[in-house]
Amino acid sequence: MLRVELRTQLLRIRTLVALAFLAAVPVIAGLATASRAGRRNGNQGGLFGASGFSALNHAMASLEFIGPLLLPIVVAMLAGAIGSSDRDWGTLRYLYVAPVGRARLLAGKFGAVVVITAASVAFVLAGGMVIGLAVFGWHPFRIIGAPDLSMGDAIGRVLAASGYTLLCMLSIAAIAFALGLLLPRGAEALGAAVAFVVAASILNGSPVLRAVQRVLPVHYWQDWTHLFDPHGTARLGTGVVCQVATIALAAAVSVLVLLRRDPAA
Amino acid sequence: MATVISASGLSKRYGRRQAVGGLGFAVGSGQVCALLGPNGAGKTSTMRMLLGLSRPDAGTATILGERVGLGAPVLRRVGVLIDGPAFVPHLSGTANLKLLWAATGRAWPPPALDDALGLAGLGAAVDRKVKGYSMGMKQRLMLAQALMRAPDVLILDEPANGLDPAEVRALRERLAQAARDGAAVLVSSHQLAEVQQLATHIVVMNRGRLVASGPLEELLGGEDAYRVEVDDTARAAEVLRAERRVASVAVQDGRLVVTAPGTPPAALVEALVTAGVGVMSVTRADRSLEEAFLTMTEGEGEHAAR
Repeated sequence: MLRVELRTQLLRIRTLVALAFLAAVPVIAGLATASRAGRRNGNQGGLFGASGFSALNHAMASLEFIGPLLLPIVVAMLAGAIGSSDRDWGTLRYLYVAPVGRARLLAGKFGAVVVITAASVAFVLAGGMVIGLAVFGWHPFRIIGAPDLSMGDAIGRVLAASGYTLLCMLSIAAIAFALGLLLPRGAEALGAAVAFVVAASILNGSPVLRAVQRVLPVHYWQDWTHLFDPHGTARLGTGVVCQVATIALAAAVSVLVLLRRDPAA
Repeated sequence: MATVISASGLSKRYGRRQAVGGLGFAVGSGQVCALLGPNGAGKTSTMRMLLGLSRPDAGTATILGERVGLGAPVLRRVGVLIDGPAFVPHLSGTANLKLLWAATGRAWPPPALDDALGLAGLGAAVDRKVKGYSMGMKQRLMLAQALMRAPDVLILDEPANGLDPAEVRALRERLAQAARDGAAVLVSSHQLAEVQQLATHIVVMNRGRLVASGPLEELLGGEDAYRVEVDDTARAAEVLRAERRVASVAVQDGRLVVTAPGTPPAALVEALVTAGVGVMSVTRADRSLEEAFLTMTEGEGEHAAR
């Protein structure tokens, strides 16, 4: 069923456009800052300030730029479609009589959500790496105010950052997927998922409601950037727990929705 | 003949509406059974229960002796068209067929693919995206999907929708061939003339209940149906409906169409004359399925009771 889901979703024009868009953002950013290759990016600090030093620097800066809003919106769109599209097309009843059981159907869909979310993150990183190599070259990872990272250390931190971001994106993907199953039409699921991302981001930026912010998965999405602070430490444990809890809750809701939904609809 | 499709005491309620109530019938190997009824009679609800898409409130549905539930393994042996065709619009016809086949975990191609595609007659269009297909093309592709697996059972909801006369004829011949090869075929249709040429058996439903079921020839009345011209139609209908030997009475064009198996026409005349009704003529009625269907489904309560 995973193959079936991937074939239906990955061959859609809008999926391909969305993934191309994710890769295009770092490419455009790289071209826009090409004149600062090998130099600090203006007066900016952190990953943005160091983006012109190497391909890996640019890839991580791209992930930081796209991570809070654009990436989760695209991931929500793609994951919501996995939940809703076969009902929109009416093909769900034909899958059931093929026959495919509910458990296998759900497993295939969860698998497709993971693959598409991973592809989304990978496209950002790939776009950043490819343009970074072309424009800035392959150099040691530079952290402003700290010695260059060794290649092994840099790759370790990049993998940790990418994995953590993937987990964060899986949490919004799981929410969007559940909404895709729950709401009558795919467009409604997409709207609700995007509204959730935007509202949660606004809420997270508010100086009040700290208690609410702590339970929002969005609150922890950028914690990985501390892996590239001069002191190089990041507390990702709470973020991991929050994302895993969100994924588990959304998956449980998805199971319940699918069990209660009219199979012939 | 072995029973392949069986419904026993099937009931389904949606809120306050009883969609199907206590329905029972069976379709055997080699039979083409038409499930007939006016709109809202419960035909599609019945088919959904037979396919496990809807859980009956009471009763059981079995196919090839196995109880059917959602995604039941026995459905691998069933070709299905239900609630109209449905495809992934951005994929080609072939890709859609592959997708539904791959969902069952079996290796491509299915055993009767060429034959099924021949019936669909889509030619090069089968490799074009389905979103550009007409309604008829989608219907034919869905039929190909149902037939390509060489099923032992076919359950088809309005299979002739959107087909032109030549395509309807080809479909009829293909379904008849499937039945001759031993498949059990259950079709719902509103095209009664078409059904009359195809079906060996019919099941008539109205308002969720079974009105009649059995071999087509038997239910058309054969030599037991009469057209009776009388001077008081209403009174005559009342008298005949009270007769134990009379199976059904309908009024058409000012005359009565009476089904009374095993009853000589003289007995009907005697009953009417005794009741004071003048009888002008009694002729044998060669009923079409349409006439029989209308007879059976109008005034549903009384016919169902019989």
